[in-house]
Amino acid sequence: MTTAIEQIGRSGLHAVRASLDTLAFAFKILARMFDVRAYNSAVRMVLINQIYFTSVQILPLFLAVAVIFGAIVIGIIGQYLIHLGLFDYFGQLLMGFVVTEFAPFITVLLIALRSGSAVNAEIAVMKVNKELNTLHVFRIDEINYLFLPRILSGILSIVLLSSLFSIIVLASGLIFSSLLFDMSMNDYVTALLASAKFSDLIVMLIKCAIMGFFIVMIPIRYGMRATDELTSIPVSVLHGMVNVFIAIMIIEVVSLIVVSSISKFI
Amino acid sequence: MRLYSSEELLNRELCDIMAQEKHRLGLVSLDAPLISNLSVLSNIALIKQYHGGLTVPEAEDIAEMRLKKLHLEDIAAKRNSVLLEVQRFCAMILRAVMVEDAMVVIDRPFKIMPDLDDTHFIREVLTSVDDLFRECHIFDYLWNEERYTGGMIHGA
Repeated sequence: MTTAIEQIGRSGLHAVRASLDTLAFAFKILARMFDVRAYNSAVRMVLINQIYFTSVQILPLFLAVAVIFGAIVIGIIGQYLIHLGLFDYFGQLLMGFVVTEFAPFITVLLIALRSGSAVNAEIAVMKVNKELNTLHVFRIDEINYLFLPRILSGILSIVLLSSLFSIIVLASGLIFSSLLFDMSMNDYVTALLASAKFSDLIVMLIKCAIMGFFIVMIPIRYGMRATDELTSIPVSVLHGMVNVFIAIMIIEVVSLIVVSSISKFI
Repeated sequence: MRLYSSEELLNRELCDIMAQEKHRLGLVSLDAPLISNLSVLSNIALIKQYHGGLTVPEAEDIAEMRLKKLHLEDIAAKRNSVLLEVQRFCAMILRAVMVEDAMVVIDRPFKIMPDLDDTHFIREVLTSVDDLFRECHIFDYLWNEERYTGGMIHGA
């Protein structure tokens, strides 16, 4: 019994320490993000490459997912609202659910699966190959050169792709609502505009930026934990991706609490 | 040329020199490999981009000229994994001499190029770029002494 309690305590302490380490690392990166001297030509080149890998290469898949998911979600929401006699709330559901919750979630999931795992593996491979040692020997700061461009690209990508996802879903909603529910373009736009809240959009963008930060920072952190062994690469990717998923859930829950608190306060 | 009787001794001395001369150190070692997701050209140009504040084209022009000096233009776009041992060594030398006022430290060259019998090739490479570095030190084991016969290299 005592051993079991000790074990729980040890695991708890380990989890708390790991979380504190991650937060300390996050603050270190944040501090560097606002240091203009960090952005030299080499860093800018990496940033441009990373934006291309994260935001541009994914576009065909992303656009297809946005159109398909958008059509499905709008179809299901519309059918249920008609069934319940609540079709007047169509606009509110689109803005409140699709734009502020669904779009960021799907975007974050896609980017985490594609780029988060790639960054985790890349950093772990560099660690195993002693390439991080090369940077150290040639006095190239790994935070500035490797981490900062990847994290910035994560933030920019999530914010921009999430906005693009919302626009595509709303645009496909225009087509599908007229096909499925005989809704005119005028009614659709009026319903959306009546439900649009500036504060919701701001909260969505902030949430996207925070998620973008963590879904790249956590894989970097776990990539750095790889040892000299090749076998440590899959282990670091596995742990990194599980923790990214946990972080996404935590940010979603915290953002919901914050939004509901703000709504009550207003 | 600095020869040591044990790995421990060699590593200790190497660490000392790396700590003392870190601002002008151009290390050529398997422990500081080329960055695998960059081409040879980008690996060489990176030093001037990061420390010299040069733009990508400016730094790559210099790197290209240096590759031409060793007649290695054809490996500019290649990555570390496809290079021959001697090409990898040359790329690491060119990266090392990109450091301002460089002190080139070659760590166990026969570990980088195990097929070499002597230092003839190393000397040839260093002579081709001897205007680009201030001094050069080679660290190796005492039992490789025979392979170093025939005079030593510039500055060492």
